[in-house]
Amino acid sequence: MKWLLKIVDAVRPTFEEGGKLHVFNPVFGALEHFLFAPGTRTLGAPHIRDPIDLKRFMSMAIISVVPCVFAALYFFGLRIIPMIIVSYACGLAVEAAFAIVRKEGINEGFFVTGILFPMILPPGIPLWMVGVGVAFGVLIGKELFGGTGRNIFNPALVGRCFLALAYPAKMSASWIEAGGGLTGRLLEYATAPAATDAVTVATPLSEAKGGQMCSIWHLLFGNVSGSAGETSAILIILGGVFLLFTRVANWRTVAGILLSFVILTGALIQGGAVSYSIDGLVSPIIWHVFAGGLLFGAFFMATDPVTSPTSNIGKWIYGIIIGSTTVLIRNFTGYVEGVTFAILLGNIVAPILDEAVIAIRIRRLRSEG
Amino acid sequence: MRFRGGYNILLKGKPDRNISVMPEPEVLYLPLASKRFTFSEICVQQGQKVNGGDILAKDPDNYGVPLLAPLAGEIKLGAEEGYVVLDNVRKDEERADLAEKEIEHIEAKMGDGGVKRYKLLSLGAWQFFYDAYTGTLPDPQGDPQAVIVSTVSLEPFLARGDAQLQKRLLDFTRGLEHLQSLLEYQPIYLVLPDITSAFADLVRNHIRGYAWVKMVEIPLTYPYDDFGILARRLNLKRDKGPVWGVRTEGILATDRALTITKPCTVRIISIGGAGVDGPTHIMVVPGYPTKTIADKYVLEPSARLIDGGVLTGEIAGQSLGVETECRGLTVLPELEEREFLGFVRAGWGRSSYTPCFLSALRKRFREDYTSGVRGEGRPCVSCGYCEDVCPAGLMPHLIHKYLYRDLIEEADEARVDLCIECGLCSYVCPSKIDVRGELIKAKELIAKEQEEIRQEQLRQEEARRREAEARKESEENSE
Ligand code: SF4
Ligand code: SF4
Repeated sequence: MKWLLKIVDAVRPTFEEGGKLHVFNPVFGALEHFLFAPGTRTLGAPHIRDPIDLKRFMSMAIISVVPCVFAALYFFGLRIIPMIIVSYACGLAVEAAFAIVRKEGINEGFFVTGILFPMILPPGIPLWMVGVGVAFGVLIGKELFGGTGRNIFNPALVGRCFLALAYPAKMSASWIEAGGGLTGRLLEYATAPAATDAVTVATPLSEAKGGQMCSIWHLLFGNVSGSAGETSAILIILGGVFLLFTRVANWRTVAGILLSFVILTGALIQGGAVSYSIDGLVSPIIWHVFAGGLLFGAFFMATDPVTSPTSNIGKWIYGIIIGSTTVLIRNFTGYVEGVTFAILLGNIVAPILDEAVIAIRIRRLRSEG
Repeated sequence: MRFRGGYNILLKGKPDRNISVMPEPEVLYLPLASKRFTFSEICVQQGQKVNGGDILAKDPDNYGVPLLAPLAGEIKLGAEEGYVVLDNVRKDEERADLAEKEIEHIEAKMGDGGVKRYKLLSLGAWQFFYDAYTGTLPDPQGDPQAVIVSTVSLEPFLARGDAQLQKRLLDFTRGLEHLQSLLEYQPIYLVLPDITSAFADLVRNHIRGYAWVKMVEIPLTYPYDDFGILARRLNLKRDKGPVWGVRTEGILATDRALTITKPCTVRIISIGGAGVDGPTHIMVVPGYPTKTIADKYVLEPSARLIDGGVLTGEIAGQSLGVETECRGLTVLPELEEREFLGFVRAGWGRSSYTPCFLSALRKRFREDYTSGVRGEGRPCVSCGYCEDVCPAGLMPHLIHKYLYRDLIEEADEARVDLCIECGLCSYVCPSKIDVRGELIKAKELIAKEQEEIRQEQLRQEEARRREAEARKESEENSE
């Protein structure tokens, strides 16, 4: 690959200080460092560094979502591809614009947002809404706070929340029936049923509000309607476990969410506060864990290290807040799905949790040596 | 406190247990500065003939710690900036450069203990002692609350205790006895690895008879051998007085100084790292020409020569001679080539703290490292790795964020001063932030500020006192 490096080296002066395309230096830098690992050397102790870098770190997050992307393609058709492309293009434009203004490098964090965002949208959503949503999320949710590492809210969730509040009708009309069989909808470019048809497809959770609960097996495999990447519980768990194994996601957050969700749901059923059409205690709990965006949110959205608390105890509490808020929203409000709001709420609480935990730890450190 | 954090980085080029003797040098280049000392007070003249053990220079800021002539030779001053050059080096019978009168004087004033301490200082053994909390040189006349003796050396790649102890076990135990005679009742903690090897058992059996030595077995995880960490682990509080830390070589030097009253001029240092041909230990004297060592051991001339370990050492590229505090030399090949699509490679051969490479599936192995940063600098993503590895129990990312916003006071509150500068946080950071460097700078800044405050207080007190005196005087006058 010597020839390619030569080209890169030859082009570089154009983008450097005084070059014609100097403003686009961040874009060039991103491309250059995508192709070739930087040649920087350490200046002093420690003289060596771990091979992990942010590119690898974020790649792990993307790899873990890949099974869900394939599931989305299978269940909801080829339309997923343009959704991903639009999401990346619009988001990247905003990201690059800010990188240019700020004269910083383009940050890898966006590549995770770009793939996660379409996965939490209804698969039949108009493409322009994907673009608007991701641009809003990146702009308001991240760049205004100073970019990756400094944001308070998960940008993908901010985008989704914006769409849900600004275009509620369009959102709820965009669900698609999941495909089945050997090829699923892999060969189709499925769109949402035209609004004039007046038949909206219901997601399992909205059906459940009406007292109808589909089989747990369907939720496990994912041939139900729902957000593009959220339907197949088993593939989400697969990717999520991978993410936990690589330590990119912290298991405490996930454990906090799922445990509190299970325990609170169980308590509500036992206490008679809620009742479901499925009998027993365990089955409805499992059904609710698998349904909707809970697993996807727990594994991929809530674990975003930037927007979750930094301390380990904080992560537990953060998880518990998200898990129990989801239960409350699902069961006692008009919304059928509560994960988005629950995680955003968690994001708000995270700095406060950090503050408290840090205060305690600093007090303990004070008495040290 | 329990041990926490810590991480062993596996690198190629671990020195073996052998000790090879280097050829006799003709010229010695003795650096006038080392990590802790600046020998600014030169005690010899141009052209003067000195003997092994003569004092060449002293550091007036560190209790007059001496720079000793390792061998006999002829002084050349100013031949090289920052060095005392010793020419025509010969190996004569070395002698102790101790003035009889001085000793008598000290004996009269401070008794036997005073003489012993004076010998330790002027025979070059005292420079192996550390203040456990600050890493500085402790006061040779001071009384510690405890002494920590460590036979463990965990940073890659510094001289290993077991290599130094071989064949010198008796000297070592005798050195411990000498050390004990300096103390009254204070405990000596002897730090041993918690492994069972024939050699470790031998050491244990040797020590068992000494009731005043408390054995402390520690896991072999970097940097649990750090004196600061050990002092905290042993619950030795800072306000109860200083804690001395001393390693194997210090005990051996103590033995030499107090048993046969000979200067301690020979060092066993390690030469290790991926750029070394046959990593091992070598026996040298301070000032030994770096070039001779490099010619014999360094594979690539462009490699980086580090004085000390790979995590905390300093670049010694231009150094002419081995400094007096040197514990090991590390040779690290410089990064030469940029890797194509580096971050998408499977990473079978990369040894990482994170299981993000395929190598997480194989057994841990020693990696071939270079000086590459391996990524570009980014803002902190709060991944928490630095907190997980920090042996001091700090939150390095939090302090990094404080410093980013210039909140020095908050950083002080978060106890930057407990940082032992092990370098693990910088090592693991995926955003390639040099957390250690930032923390060190902050520590210096805080120390400077505190010193200024102290000075200011002294000045104010002084002014107040003078004012009071003046008032008294004027009152007296008016009466
Ligand atoms: S390792 Fe680096 S990126 Fe991770 S929390 Fe620490 S400073 Fe931040
Ligand atoms: S903060 Fe200090 S003690 Fe902690 S890992 Fe970093 S260098 Fe080591």
